[in-house]
Amino acid sequence: MRLLLVEDEPEIQSFVKQSLVRAGYEVDTAEDGKAATQMVSRHAYHGLIVDLGLPDQDGIDLILKLRKSGVTSPVLILSARRSEDDRVKGLELGGDDYLTKPFAVAELIARMRNLLRRNSLQAEDATRIRVCDLELDIRKRRATRGDEVLNLTPQEYVLLEYLCRHAGRVVTRSMLLAEVWGMRIVPDTNVVDVHIYRLRGKIDTAGREPLIKTLRGIGYVLKST
Amino acid sequence: MRSAAWRISLWASLAFALGTMLVFFMLHRFVASDIQSRSDAWLAGEVKVLGDVAERTPKDRLYSRVVSEVAELASREVPNRRRSCESETGSVFFLQAGDSGPAKLWVGSGDGSANLLAIRSTKALGDAPYDIRVEGFSVPFRVATVRVEDGSHIYLGLSERDELLVLRSLRIRFLTLWLAIVLLGFVIVFYATRRMLGHVREITEAASRIGQSDLSSRVPSTGANDEVGHLARTLNHMLDRIESTVHQLHTITDSLAHDLRSPLTAIRGKLETALSSDVRVDQAETIVSAIDELDRLTDFLNTSLDVAEAKADALRLSRTEIDLDKLVRGMLDLYEPCMNEKGLGVQFRSSGSVKVLADPALLHRVIANLLDNELKHLPASCTVYLLLQTDEDMAMLTLEDNGPGFDADVRRQLFERGVKGRDSRGHGLGLAFVEAVVRVHGGSVMAANRSEGGARLSFTLPMWKIATEQGSDSLVMAKG
Repeated sequence: MRLLLVEDEPEIQSFVKQSLVRAGYEVDTAEDGKAATQMVSRHAYHGLIVDLGLPDQDGIDLILKLRKSGVTSPVLILSARRSEDDRVKGLELGGDDYLTKPFAVAELIARMRNLLRRNSLQAEDATRIRVCDLELDIRKRRATRGDEVLNLTPQEYVLLEYLCRHAGRVVTRSMLLAEVWGMRIVPDTNVVDVHIYRLRGKIDTAGREPLIKTLRGIGYVLKST
Repeated sequence: MRSAAWRISLWASLAFALGTMLVFFMLHRFVASDIQSRSDAWLAGEVKVLGDVAERTPKDRLYSRVVSEVAELASREVPNRRRSCESETGSVFFLQAGDSGPAKLWVGSGDGSANLLAIRSTKALGDAPYDIRVEGFSVPFRVATVRVEDGSHIYLGLSERDELLVLRSLRIRFLTLWLAIVLLGFVIVFYATRRMLGHVREITEAASRIGQSDLSSRVPSTGANDEVGHLARTLNHMLDRIESTVHQLHTITDSLAHDLRSPLTAIRGKLETALSSDVRVDQAETIVSAIDELDRLTDFLNTSLDVAEAKADALRLSRTEIDLDKLVRGMLDLYEPCMNEKGLGVQFRSSGSVKVLADPALLHRVIANLLDNELKHLPASCTVYLLLQTDEDMAMLTLEDNGPGFDADVRRQLFERGVKGRDSRGHGLGLAFVEAVVRVHGGSVMAANRSEGGARLSFTLPMWKIATEQGSDSLVMAKG
């Protein structure tokens, strides 16, 4: 998949590009809005990563301009600003995502993957999700592993459903906080981890293959195959 | 405000009434003395004529008739005559009498004995006319006297009735007019003041609204070039300056944040890149801890800029309607497992939905802050009690625990930046942030140790109902 990274700071551009390439993407870069517009007109990109503080124009204006000219690829917004104006919230509602600097590279990649998948797989209205021998019945909000019905609290079910929808991909703590609990906070305690430990205690019971893996300092991943 | 208009118009009318009354009093005195001097002049002239006539007329049978005729004629020319129904009889009398004995000559109503009695009982001083009170007459007479050759006196009396009538009608007219003018003046002053003070009140209300919510609104200007218009313009100038100062502060904090975040991002990225290449375990440990420190530094940077902005009342809010009950339950969903894991109990009591107008992201951080504090400082087997209450217009969330309470040495300055407990590893901004956010929303924070042990921290936020009114007001204001 081909991505366009619009970022004027060379240091940031270089390591973001490096990590994205390592993650298996083809990455083009642009230093400003003008270059980005030209690049987009020449190639069709699967996704864009746009820094808001560009030297020649505001990142949001660039995104709105691209959207107007028919670009539908998902955009991950990078921002060094302290508070986002309502336009960023508008973009977020429109299916794009944003990350505040400084960010963890893993977070960036996790969110980008999430965006790309959301875009390619719009129909998520399946009534059942299967991950290995774990099966979720979305309508009944019921989870089973093998033949055993898992006894989950509503909260745990929502968490598991989110993990299953992102099976095989890294989900970070802040993604979980934002998507499962609906809050953008950075708690300095291990509140999210405890939820995962509890869920793991119910899913990965003794004698079964553990499905939820912890990636230290990054987040979690639900094994997909 | 209305009472101020009332007071001002009352005092103004009182001063006006007293002033005009004083002027009238002087005028009245002047008119009265003028009337008197005119009638005195007439009396003196007539009595002199009568005296001359009495002297020149031979003292025969015709004497009394001649003098009476002259006296009657004179009485027709009485000054200040009112064309009243009462005839001139009784308003003028003529009397000739010696120092004792009955009157030699009498012209007037009645037999004159009462008049003579009154004249004799009054000590006359010189030739100037003087007042006498005659029995049977309610009004005094003004009497002029002249001495004739034979030793007797001629008295000419003029009733002061007409003079008093003139003055009375003057007084009545003045009083009616005076009352009307004072009342009219009062009404005019009252309405003018109320209008004026109404503008001042509008300005005050608008200014207090601006203080609470947005800085872009302005107080309504009357457009007039008077003091109130000047006040509105001055206030708006001041608001312009405040807005630009706040804007500058935002620019500074934004560029500071931006300038620090870009290198932080680059450093973090490089550390991560280094971590993902093949490194030894001990090196990886160092890099991971460096990343941790970097994240703490970032968090510190963000929170201190937030606290700085909030302390300057410049925190940017995007307010929406929030159900505090729901928000706290959501936070507890997140925190409860972790607290249970640590052996802490949690209880939440609330009487249902409580709507406030607030920034949800900031409120999340506030409550997360408080719960993080409890998690970090409470020993196992303690319980955290949360209580959501409302009174007329404020919502209050109280957090209590049965732990050790606040340290005595930090309790006094809990909400100051950099104040933290001895064992705390935090940056000491947590409660300063809580206080700043709550204050920016128009609430207040209280913290104390409970008498039965443990800490109690509570904050209030204005309820949504009032906020709606404010919102609609500022809308009106913006239109006007």
